[in-house]
Amino acid sequence: MSVTPGVRPLDVRHAITDVGRRGRLWYLVLGAGLGIGVVAFGYQWWNGLGVTGLSNTISWGMYIITFMFLVGVSAGGLIVVAGSELVGSRRFEPLTKLAVIVSGTAIAAAALSILPDLGRPQLAWKMLWQPHWTSPLIWDVLVITLYLSIAVIDLWILTRPEPRPGAMRTLAFIALPAAVLVHSVTAWIFGLLVARPFWNTALLAPMFVSSALVSGTALLILVAEVVDRTSDWDPPDRVFPDLGKLMIWFLGVDAFLLFAEILTTYASRVPDHVKQLNVLLLGRLAPVFWVEVILGVVVPFAIYASRLRQQRRWVVIAAALALLGVFFKRINIVMTSMFLPLVGLAPGIPGGRPGQGFRPDPIYVPTAIEWGILIGVASFVALLITLGVRAFVIPRRSAGG
Amino acid sequence: MLEVRDLDLAHVGVVLAETDTPTASAVDEPPAVTSEKVSPVQALSDASRAYGEIGETSSEPRWGMAVDTERCIGCWSCAVICKSENDIPLGMWWNRILTDGDELDTPRVGEFGGLELDWVPLACQHCDDPPCMKVCPTSATYVGEGGLVEVHQEDCIGCRYCMAACPYGVRVFNWGEPDHALPFDHGMVEPRPIGSVEKCTMCVHRLREGQVPSCVWSCPAQARIFGDLNDPEGELVRTIEARGGHRLLEDKGTEPKVHYLEPRRRRPL
Repeated sequence: MSVTPGVRPLDVRHAITDVGRRGRLWYLVLGAGLGIGVVAFGYQWWNGLGVTGLSNTISWGMYIITFMFLVGVSAGGLIVVAGSELVGSRRFEPLTKLAVIVSGTAIAAAALSILPDLGRPQLAWKMLWQPHWTSPLIWDVLVITLYLSIAVIDLWILTRPEPRPGAMRTLAFIALPAAVLVHSVTAWIFGLLVARPFWNTALLAPMFVSSALVSGTALLILVAEVVDRTSDWDPPDRVFPDLGKLMIWFLGVDAFLLFAEILTTYASRVPDHVKQLNVLLLGRLAPVFWVEVILGVVVPFAIYASRLRQQRRWVVIAAALALLGVFFKRINIVMTSMFLPLVGLAPGIPGGRPGQGFRPDPIYVPTAIEWGILIGVASFVALLITLGVRAFVIPRRSAGG
Repeated sequence: MLEVRDLDLAHVGVVLAETDTPTASAVDEPPAVTSEKVSPVQALSDASRAYGEIGETSSEPRWGMAVDTERCIGCWSCAVICKSENDIPLGMWWNRILTDGDELDTPRVGEFGGLELDWVPLACQHCDDPPCMKVCPTSATYVGEGGLVEVHQEDCIGCRYCMAACPYGVRVFNWGEPDHALPFDHGMVEPRPIGSVEKCTMCVHRLREGQVPSCVWSCPAQARIFGDLNDPEGELVRTIEARGGHRLLEDKGTEPKVHYLEPRRRRPL
């Protein structure tokens, strides 16, 4: 207990509250965003999920997409930290705390963002009280809880005045498999369904892991950039190109898996699969898909193929594009399967609400309520990262650091 | 009451019930029942109950159904009585009649340019290996009496995982407060709460009283045969054996208990 004993608790509070005018404005914006989310969720809870753009045909939408995306971005931090720890690399050490905070926040937000998708959130406890073990959803609840716990314990170890050297390494042995599991199990929520040919592929879990790694490292780059710009935190310059290289390798694997899936489907011509892929590549989802491929894959690769990769600004731009690409990919994964029910004869599936009729040709447009909840979740993520960064990452003037 | 008896409504009951309980004596002499005083409502009710009786089953019935697509005339009667029987809110159907083609009311161009119109009545297939049951996180969907797939509404958290998992798209969700065409409760079962998933129960409440499901009872073309798949002597199993037919999406391995009997001849329009 040699370094600044007894200063910490007060110090943390100080770091969070003493933020200046711009900081207060930022808190205000996030608070308003959170308020919008809470009000929207309350309104939806009261009136039912009919206030969303969902129907019996497209029964999963924005909430599930957000959930998948957040589970994905939670990958980056912990895998970078645990991976470096296991191979004994010190390269990303300056990022360790930030990485753990981003991961922990993302997984907590993922767990939170799935609640509005429930028709009866007040009964969510039944998943724990009477779990049905054949349901991938139950396993996802377990593995997300495990992953969140690892992030919290990691952060706790890192913020001890004298961290025990072996602790992080020991935890890394659990963290790495848990990180792979959390994405795989989330993928298996979709991938194990015979009813949805587009999801029902063994490649789905590996693809989720690769997309997760892309989006996770991309978000880490973005957060590091923002924190670097807005605070005294000063990471070594090389962490950006290093993280960027990691991201582009992950993106390569991700693109390869996507290509393998498309090639297999078109070459083997299984009718159901081809029909679904046609919707994605040539049909109504084509705009989203090609934006995903061009902005999310081609442009980042072009940046890295050129000399632009040496400029930090372009590393950040590539990361932003890759992150956007993965979000679009999540939209595509959910929507492709929802658009094409297996029994697609006329008049189709009943919409579900008075006057909606049947939906042979389903559309889904998220409503203001869904956007409101999304704003709330995004504000939650930003707020938690801000608080975490202020408390644990930015050096404290008051502590003489 | 005398005029009513002259109308011989009770006799109607006997005629309707004939397929289930043929009596040799009824043919020659007038039925004894006409000598009793029976109200017309009672008579109709008795007749319909007699007509809807399940009849003989094995000791452990496994309920199933055959839909004769040769007999189906696409009238949607079964879909409408299903809504009434089960108090299904506006905007939802547990049972609907799909047209084999692109549009509800447009015939297909068949062989040799002839027009053809066929229907696929679709409700819960009550699979022996139900994907919806496997993914339900709270066991709200379960396999109940007679092998039927049922939902405990009080355990449904409304995650709609079962809707994603059902290959047949027969599950519907309560998106808002249920709204009904009639201003009173007309169903024979409890209404389902907002935020929960519901679907065809195979009228399990009627089965308990020895009655066939409403859609079977109401079909004017008698296109539906309900019965016990465990009873090799029953009409259902014998018909399926004689006519063959198929089950929907058999390659998905869900083992549905609803069989579709193929038309034996084409009916050009």
